[in-house]
Amino acid sequence: MTTTQPPSQMPGFEVDRAALAHLADAQVNVELDTGDMILNMGPQHPATHGTLRLVVRLDGERVIAADPVIGYMHRGYEKLTEFRTYPQVTTLINRIDWLSSFANEVPFVHAAERLMGIEAPDRARYVRTILTELSRIATIYLFLGEMGLQVGALTPAFWGFRDREHVLNLIEGATGGRFHPNFNRIGGLKDDLPWGWVADCRAAMDRILTGCDDFEKVLVGNEIFEARTRGVGIIPAELGAAYGVSGANLRASGIDWDLRRDGQPYLAYPELDIKVWTHADGDSFARYWVRLQETRESARMVLQLLERLPSGPVMAKVPRIIKVPEGECWVETENPLGQMGYYVVSKGATGPFRVKIRSASFSNVSILPWLLRGVYVPDVVTILGSLYFILGDIDR
Amino acid sequence: MPDETPTTEPSADDASAVVATAEVPPEPDPVVAQLAARFEVGLGDGLRDWADAFGHLVVRVRRDAWRPAAELAKRDLACDFLSFVAGIDWRPADKSEGDEGGDTSSPVQPTEMTFGAAGAEGRFQVFAHVESTSRHWGVTIKVDVEEANPRVPSWVGVYPGADWHERECWEMFGITFDGHPSLRHLYLPGGFEGHPLRKDFPLLAREVKPWPGLVDVEPMPGGDEEGGE
Amino acid sequence: MGLVEKGVLGRKPLKPVTWLLNYSRKYSLWMFQWGLACCAIEMGAALASPRFDMMRLGVIPFPASPRQADLVVISGTVTDKMAPAIKRLYEQMPDPKYVISMGSCANCGGPYWDSYSVTKGVDQIIPVDIYIPGCPPRPEALLDAIVMLQERIQNEGIGNDELASRWRGEPVEVA
Repeated sequence: MTTTQPPSQMPGFEVDRAALAHLADAQVNVELDTGDMILNMGPQHPATHGTLRLVVRLDGERVIAADPVIGYMHRGYEKLTEFRTYPQVTTLINRIDWLSSFANEVPFVHAAERLMGIEAPDRARYVRTILTELSRIATIYLFLGEMGLQVGALTPAFWGFRDREHVLNLIEGATGGRFHPNFNRIGGLKDDLPWGWVADCRAAMDRILTGCDDFEKVLVGNEIFEARTRGVGIIPAELGAAYGVSGANLRASGIDWDLRRDGQPYLAYPELDIKVWTHADGDSFARYWVRLQETRESARMVLQLLERLPSGPVMAKVPRIIKVPEGECWVETENPLGQMGYYVVSKGATGPFRVKIRSASFSNVSILPWLLRGVYVPDVVTILGSLYFILGDIDR
Repeated sequence: MPDETPTTEPSADDASAVVATAEVPPEPDPVVAQLAARFEVGLGDGLRDWADAFGHLVVRVRRDAWRPAAELAKRDLACDFLSFVAGIDWRPADKSEGDEGGDTSSPVQPTEMTFGAAGAEGRFQVFAHVESTSRHWGVTIKVDVEEANPRVPSWVGVYPGADWHERECWEMFGITFDGHPSLRHLYLPGGFEGHPLRKDFPLLAREVKPWPGLVDVEPMPGGDEEGGE
Repeated sequence: MGLVEKGVLGRKPLKPVTWLLNYSRKYSLWMFQWGLACCAIEMGAALASPRFDMMRLGVIPFPASPRQADLVVISGTVTDKMAPAIKRLYEQMPDPKYVISMGSCANCGGPYWDSYSVTKGVDQIIPVDIYIPGCPPRPEALLDAIVMLQERIQNEGIGNDELASRWRGEPVEVA
């Protein structure tokens, strides 16, 4: 190599500065054709809360198409229920939406009770309602914290885990299980509440209400949080309903529909003073806001229930071997993540013939291909976070 | 009421309707009856039968009325919310008849084929539940599927959310939905063989070893000495 | 540093050297969280909740990739669809590597022992050092497992015939 000097300094090489500037301009103005890029998020990715895999086709930073690949947590519930007796099924369905286990049991037990024509005693109904609301708080609290994490705020996540422990302690105190209580029996509950539980519960609800104020102070008014969530991931009300999006996700789009108030009467909800919160915007921020208000509302509901808690037995008279008469029954409830329902078909045996499990997250996530079209990659994370799904609830 | 409807096969339908409604009070819920009347008017012959299952309307429609039923529910009955689309296999599961080995622990189901509310014609049915967010009612719509050639029209054009539900149903039962944009595996890995929710799909783990709970059978307190049934 | 892998330390290294190496290893475990199901939430509680606070045990739960991790906690149900991904990520981890199987599902299939889509135990795919029973195990159980693992690491020999095989990534016999 003899010529070490760059070509621009070789003799005869004149630089036309004006032409260069023009060229540079052209480079900027011409859309760079980069070709589409396929980005694989998951199946193990922090933003997907577990094992959701998202195959995203990108043009630069913009999502052209997104295809969620689910099934990494598919455990075959609907088949397994056909091989279990009714009391055994409740053990299993605890684990569908593992954050709100108690709330999962309720609709199934209701379906069995309705088919058998028995009704749980009043006290059992009230305690069931309290525990359902507690599991709702435990579930949504994690969301309230994690949503901060999605936009880069670490503190709320720790708060979420911290205050959630108070609720888990209550659930553990009453049922013996932090996560999977399996406390419902067909016809009532396994046990009554322990001594001192009601006072503990009141104290914990006060903490929850304070905690909600903290979240509101730190996140809701926060400029970064608003910038990242407002106007992002808007679900139109009609489309959301047609996709089967339910729960707070649908209420955040302005649809005033809550099965606790509007569905077939169940538990103690008809006797309570309930406010259903909605938001008109339908974006990620609205979903966060609605859930925050709902957590408060749940805590208030628990306080109301504790005031009115009736005395009496917690278990109705049921035969020792549970055989459910022939028939079919659809029971739906408002779970923390949305509408959860069981279509139970019985043929008079000790186990169900077919159980169709309608889980909320499955439908909530099915809107993702539509919702993610055209957003930027960082927004994918906040949208996924704000839809709030549990993988077990998607895959069953 | 089923006896008022000019149904095409009154004899078969009436028999199944009697079985299905034996458990519930004879007088149907007024809302349910009203909704059923709307289906009768809208679908005419397409409506095969209907029943009141614990305050929820269950209608069974003919296969060519499956998609019109969805349109009717969405347009006329304000059922804007799609809850689920699923399949059911009415065939009794294969049972090893009390012999040793095989699956002995799962609950014993009746061995003859019976059908649920609003009846059925063959082994497979597709059923869906739609609800109204404004009027707070819901309808379960059923359709019979031929066993030899299991296909029904897709609902994706009416309810976009039916997409994943139909994929699931296709995977679990092998029922094809005509007009669905892409029927591919949803839950199971690509190479999976068989349709798990069909009653003739065995759970091999149960065949290989008995239920672990059978190892420690204890007499139940308060029961007879043998430990109950 | 490659001292162990190359056999520089010889057949019987000095006891203080062994102690020091193991001591520094056991208190800087980089843990890859493989959160799969319910157990993942309890693992999250063990990591993030002030009540349990796993980091005080010297466990660092934030490796960016499995290539930086010493320990993986498989917490939750392993399905047949997930199994190849688990194997692949395990293979990417540098040696010596440790596996904790958390919860009944990862141990043996748990409540889904008869399912058509669940792998009956993660030990069918990768070797496991410690099993935590429970459905799900409490966070304290996970902390106990970490302490047990640290004990095990502390008592490992690093002579040529003892642990060097493990450091070189040769397969471990799971008892």
